[in-house]
Parts: sequence; structure tokens; C-alpha cells
Amino acid sequence: MTRFAVGDRVQVLALRKEGHVRIPYYVRNHAGCVTEYCGTYLNPEDLAVGKTSGPAVDLYRVAFVQRLLWPDDVIPAQDTLVIEIYDHWLTPAQDTDHAP
Amino acid sequence: MPHDHEHGEHEALIIEDEAGNIDAQIVVDALQQVLIAKGLLTAHEVTAAIAKLESPGLHLGAKIIAKAWTDPEYKERLLADGRAAVQELDIPVTEARIIVVENTAQVHNLITCTLCSCYPRSILGQPPSWYISKAYRARSVREPRRVLEEFGLDLPHDMKLVVHDSNADMRYLVLPEPPLDFEIRAASDLEAMISRDHLIGVARDVA
Amino acid sequence: MQDDKGSKGYHDVGGDPAGEIPKVELPWLHWEKQVEAIRGLLGDGTRRIVSLDEVRRGFESFGIDKYNSLSFYRRRLEAMTDILIEKGIVTQAELDSAIKAGTTRWSDLDETP
Repeated sequence: MTRFAVGDRVQVLALRKEGHVRIPYYVRNHAGCVTEYCGTYLNPEDLAVGKTSGPAVDLYRVAFVQRLLWPDDVIPAQDTLVIEIYDHWLTPAQDTDHAP
Repeated sequence: MPHDHEHGEHEALIIEDEAGNIDAQIVVDALQQVLIAKGLLTAHEVTAAIAKLESPGLHLGAKIIAKAWTDPEYKERLLADGRAAVQELDIPVTEARIIVVENTAQVHNLITCTLCSCYPRSILGQPPSWYISKAYRARSVREPRRVLEEFGLDLPHDMKLVVHDSNADMRYLVLPEPPLDFEIRAASDLEAMISRDHLIGVARDVA
Repeated sequence: MQDDKGSKGYHDVGGDPAGEIPKVELPWLHWEKQVEAIRGLLGDGTRRIVSLDEVRRGFESFGIDKYNSLSFYRRRLEAMTDILIEKGIVTQAELDSAIKAGTTRWSDLDETP
């Protein structure tokens, strides 16, 4: 049973993790919508320091409204960005007024 | 070691000059020699691995797309599980998963990897140099429409543009819309019309 | 509302200002293929000595000047070497010795009429 289902509103945490992470700066703290569950994968944060024994983590694809990622730019309302986020970087979204 | 690069407002790619390339060849040969001496690999393995790296390319991507256009059931399998569908064509895939994203009359897809250069290498080979450039990686997520204009593609304002940042374990291919006359064309003709730019998403119309 | 989002690596460029995209098509050189081949072999199921994730950590730890001054495949080569030395698989001395011998061979070739 995964923590999130397709369609769930989620927010990307701004984990202050040092070392190798695969969650880009531009998407941290933003809210989006889960579009796909990708399965479980070994955590690159661990693999980068040679820890290969797991545990594997859930990976989701999350869609963001571009206009909300880049509020100072002029962007058509329907444009989106989809990116892969590991489970421990996600939390249920608090706000409900940003729908992709 | 000296090498060419440009500074200024247009940050170009770092390109090794001849001395830089010779230096790099010496270093990688030295590394290989040390690793062989330690029994960690053999020269034969390296040669074979290089041959395997050289074999994928656009021709494999074009084969997948042309088949998807002409075989609707294959297309459904491709969209559902890209890796399995690609392997059906005897194309070995090393990436964990392949996600094929479909262009439609209302939607255009663009692929990028902002953190490094993730790309479906086992299918398409190495990415083009511009895909790895800082400029593409920085701008493809923030101003993709301007990026597409630089590639000669003006998207209609009401078309939806979806940018996919391949930051983790998925790798992506764009399935472009087929040309209008695809049903009367031979597979080899269709394959010849497909470019790498179509598969990344910086080109849209296949004609 | 943007809280402190943690540190941003110099490789983490999504959304940064940047100029025109350089639409060059560079050839893929033999040494570059060799770098990828060796990395792939060292990371394969029989060895698992250096993973792609470790190589990425490697070039993300160069420091911005080194990162910005190296070509893409040179970054991979340097990062892979750094990780191998870090893990004690090879030593800098072994590598330097092999490089010195290799440089001599190249110079000898140069001097051949």
C-alpha cells in the first residue's frame, strides 16, 4: 500500500539534505498532483555513498502547474512540468487552491 | 591543460582542444591499465563494451515510433510499459523503465534532465551536445516555449506543453504525431522521417 | 511562500538564467566512449565497484570552478577517478605513474619522423 495514489495533491519538502540528492531546487516547497506511481527504487542518496542494501523507496511522478513554479513569468495556464519525486520528499499538500 | 571555452552572456559548451583530448586519452588509458593490472577488468571487455555503446542510435528510436504508428495495439503496449514494448523489438534496454509520452493535437511533450544528462542511451545512444548544455538544462524547465522557438518550433498558445525532467529512474521518449499520410507509407519511409529532435521534443511535425 | 530550501548544488541549474543554447553537434571521441565503457563495467552486476550515483556525487563535489572548466566526459572521468581513489581501489600514485608512462609514449610517438 503506497502512501500516495494517482490524483493526490502533494507538496515537495525542502529537506536540507547534504550530499547527492535528485530533487531539484526549483521544485522544492511546491505543490503538485501525483500522475503516476513508478514503483520502488534504491535511494540515490544512499547509492551515492555506496550504501546498496536499501531499503528501496517509492517513486512517484508529480505534475506541477508551470505558472505556479515560475510566478514572475508569463506562461500559459495549461502548461505543466512533470518530475519524479521519492516518497520521503513528499507530504500531503495543505492548500487546495492550486489545481494542475 | 588548456582547452577552449567561451565566457560571456552565451555560455558555450566546454569543448576539449587537441591537447585536452590527448591528455584525456592518456589519463583514461592509464586508468584502464591500472584497473587491468588489478584484475578488475580486461581490455577485451572494454572493447566489447565500447562496441555495445556504439550500437544504439536514432535508427532504433525511429523503428519504435514507426511501429507504434502502424500497429495500434503495439502503441498501447508501448504507452503502458515502454521498456517491455521496446524489448519486443529485440532492442536491449538497460534503463529501469522507459516512459513514452504521446504528442496529440492538444499536447506537446519536451524531455530534459536539469541535473545532469539523463537520456534513454541504451535506445538512442548518446544525447546531442546541446541537451547536456547548461543553457538547455536551465531554460527547458522555465521557458520551454522560448527554447522551442530557438529550435524553430512555435507552439500555439492554447496547446498544452508538458515538460518532463528525467531526474530519477525513468527515461523518456516522445511519440510524435504521425504524418498525415502515414497509412500509405512504408515503414522504412516513416523511419527515415523521424529525427532525434522529434524524440526529445524540440521538433513536432513529422513530414 | 519560499522557506529556506536547503543548499543548491552548482549542477542544479533548472530555472537559472542562461543564454542561447549552443546547437553544436560534437563527435563522440574514443576516449569518451572508453570512459563510459569503463564506468559501465565497474558498475555492472559482477563488480559493483562504482555506481552512476557515486559518479554523480563525484562531480557534484568538485567545486564550481572545476565543474565549470571541464567538458562533460572529462567530468565523468575525473569523478570516477576521485571515487576510485576515495574507495581505495586505486591510488593517486599508481595513476600518476601510469599517466607518466603514457605521456612518455605519446612524446616518443611525436618525435618519430
